[in-house]
Amino acid sequence: MPEQAKLGGVPSIYELPGIADGAEMRRASEWLDAACRENSVPSRQADRLVLCLHEVLANVIAHGGKRTQPIALRLEVNPDPSLCEASVTVSDGGRAFDPLAVPKRARPASLDEAPTSGMGLEIIRGCSDLLRYRHEGERNHLTFGMRWKP
Amino acid sequence: MSTISFDDVGQDLRRIMISGQLDAPGAKAIASQLLEFASGPRKAVVVDLSGVRFLASVGIGALIASAKAVSGRGGKMALVVDRGSTVMMSLEATGVDQLIPVFGRSADAEKAALA
Repeated sequence: MPEQAKLGGVPSIYELPGIADGAEMRRASEWLDAACRENSVPSRQADRLVLCLHEVLANVIAHGGKRTQPIALRLEVNPDPSLCEASVTVSDGGRAFDPLAVPKRARPASLDEAPTSGMGLEIIRGCSDLLRYRHEGERNHLTFGMRWKP
Repeated sequence: MSTISFDDVGQDLRRIMISGQLDAPGAKAIASQLLEFASGPRKAVVVDLSGVRFLASVGIGALIASAKAVSGRGGKMALVVDRGSTVMMSLEATGVDQLIPVFGRSADAEKAALA
C-alpha cells in the first residue's frame, strides 16, 4: 500500500492489488464510497464518482494492456464555501490513452442503431463536471470530478 | 450481487424485476437471463429497475440487446426507473432514455408497453 494520506479515517489513496478484475473493481468502488462518506461528499455526487470510477477502471482493464499494474486511485475533496469539489485521479501504467481526444459519438437515432457496448466513455463524460488527462512518468493520469454548491 | 425474476400478467405482458448492482460482475450475472426472459412470448415487456442502485455501461448494453429482441418480434419494452437516481443518470448520459421509454411508475410503463 502506498503512503496513506488520510481523509478522516479512510485513506485518500487506494491501490488495486493483484490482477484487476470485477471483484477488485467492486472493492475499489467500496473504498471510494466509504471515503466520500467520510468526507461528507453528498451521496448523489458520491454515486456519480463511483459510477465514473467503475467505467474508467473497466476501460483500463479492457484496453490498457498487460502493464497497467499497479492502478492507483486518489480522492481529493475541496470543501470550498462557494463551490465544493471532489475528484478522483486514476493512474495506470498501461498504453497511453487520452479519452478526452476521442470524438464524441453521435447519439443513435433509433434502437436499431444503438450499440450494445462501448458506452463507458459517454457515461464518464455525461456524469462528470471536470475531466482532465495527462501522460507523465510513463503513466496515464485521468482525473474526473464533481462540483456542487454547499 | 444482482437478482432477476419475472412474472407474467395475462397473455400480453411480462414484468421483469432486477435488483442489486448492475456493475460489470452484476450485469454479466444477469445478462443472459434478461435476454432470455425478454425473448419470451409476451409482446409487452416491462423491466423494473427501481431496485437497482448502480447501472454501468455493461448493464445498459444488456438492456439494449433485450429491447432489440422485443422490438424484433413486434413488441415494446419499457423501463421503470426512479427519477433522479444514478440509474437514470446512466441512461441519460448514454441517450438510452430516448430509445427505450422510461417511467417512474410501473403502471405507466405497462401502459406504454401494451400500447
